[in-house]
Amino acid sequence: MAERVFNRFTYFERIVHWVVGVTFVVLLATGLAFSHPPLFWLTGILGGGPAARVLHPWIGALFSVGMGAMAFIWLRDMVLDESDWRWLRAVKHYATRDSRNVPPAGKYNAGQKMFFWFQAVFAVAHLGSGIPLWFPAGFDAALLQWMRLIHYAVTLGGGLLLIVHVYLGTIAYPGTARAMIDGTVTERWARHHHPRWHEEQTGR
Amino acid sequence: MADTLSIRRVSASPDAYIPISALRSGGPTYAKLVDIGACIGCKGCEVACKEWNDLGVEPTANFGSYQSHRDLSPKTWLLMRFNEVEVDGNLNWLIKKDACLHCEEPGCLFACPAPGAIVQYTNGIVDFNQENCIGCQYCVTGCPFDIPRFDVHTRKVSKCNMCIDRVEAGLEPACVKTCPTNAISWGSKHDMLALADKKVETLNARGYQNAAVYNPAGVGGTHMMYVVPHGDRLADYSLPSDPTASPAPMTALGFLKRVGAYLMGFGVLGALGHFLRYGPERLEEHEDHEPHGDAGAPAA
Repeated sequence: MAERVFNRFTYFERIVHWVVGVTFVVLLATGLAFSHPPLFWLTGILGGGPAARVLHPWIGALFSVGMGAMAFIWLRDMVLDESDWRWLRAVKHYATRDSRNVPPAGKYNAGQKMFFWFQAVFAVAHLGSGIPLWFPAGFDAALLQWMRLIHYAVTLGGGLLLIVHVYLGTIAYPGTARAMIDGTVTERWARHHHPRWHEEQTGR
Repeated sequence: MADTLSIRRVSASPDAYIPISALRSGGPTYAKLVDIGACIGCKGCEVACKEWNDLGVEPTANFGSYQSHRDLSPKTWLLMRFNEVEVDGNLNWLIKKDACLHCEEPGCLFACPAPGAIVQYTNGIVDFNQENCIGCQYCVTGCPFDIPRFDVHTRKVSKCNMCIDRVEAGLEPACVKTCPTNAISWGSKHDMLALADKKVETLNARGYQNAAVYNPAGVGGTHMMYVVPHGDRLADYSLPSDPTASPAPMTALGFLKRVGAYLMGFGVLGALGHFLRYGPERLEEHEDHEPHGDAGAPAA
């Protein structure tokens, strides 16, 4: 008998996720190219330095729209409650696969929620510092220097979180990535990773 | 004219941050000296600059000043700014020859992310190579003198190149050549510094007690220097009193970049290390266990 599956993400949620995901990776690659000369060749993915300079801000605008859509669909789900703080205090057990000592998560665990909040704050900082860098004419040079510093700092934060996000969503937890591909997860996956959500789904 | 164009620094390359002496013993290190007290405001230098560099004419409009253009532009690399200032009750034109100062420590070059877009020669000239320019305008954020100008049509940045094609051929820059009062001098940096001191002495003798040489140390000195009669009023000449090639945010950015590259690398390695230690989580193994957090709960 085939294992029962649950719908975890709607078509719209998956579209939004991949718009944000793909734009973020392209922005990260070209941004690193602009910051680290040995990586300048990465501008090639957008057709070279001048083209990358033109496209990077537009892709950033698309990323911002995607982040806005994410906030619209997920903001309420991402509010941390009391059990989330217990989860965060037990993050050591989560990282070491000691699942018996990890408080049961709802649809999203506290780590996923923190990922959302950090990336949301970073996205606002990226947008706020990116606009003056997009149209530097008329802005004070000293202000632009600070914007460059902020833009790079939040890229670093977002990039590091992306590594964790991709790792956990793929090779660390098999069965997770399909939630963002066909939108479903298995019952076994749901019961193990998000027991409280599983309960809601089954009405148990 | 051997070695006139030997390279000292190239943008977005390791050499940009490590001042290396020329590989070959360099030729002369040039400097332009602008004696503002000797300028009669004829703007011949502006015309010569436009002509030699084939910059073309921009329509201008009278905005109540003797100044030709409001600002520098991709087509106007040199602008005589006529700052109208009252000095001791008299109206004075505190003229500034606004163009690239060719810093010894060029903030534009340090800020540039495009390999080879900005080159500093051992002769002191800092030149933009538009072929490699990506149009990001980071040089504008790095310049303490607000000199580079972005062309929205070509999406390239340009500025005074000290008539490098003339200098290479042993000639002085066009503005120097054309100046009718010899207010602009050209020669080795050493000679120009000596000349500047003499000019200051002369100005002092004429009663300009605050006359000074503008060759700011914050950018390692410049290859266009000024002699200003009123050295106590730099702001009125539109000259920053303490320009720097490495302002605080850029220094912090440089540090963060060094750390950042390692952090990203260690992030990937960390994930890999975690995977090698814990591997993929196999849910079958948990089948007989309770799910997350049910430790100690009574068996269902």
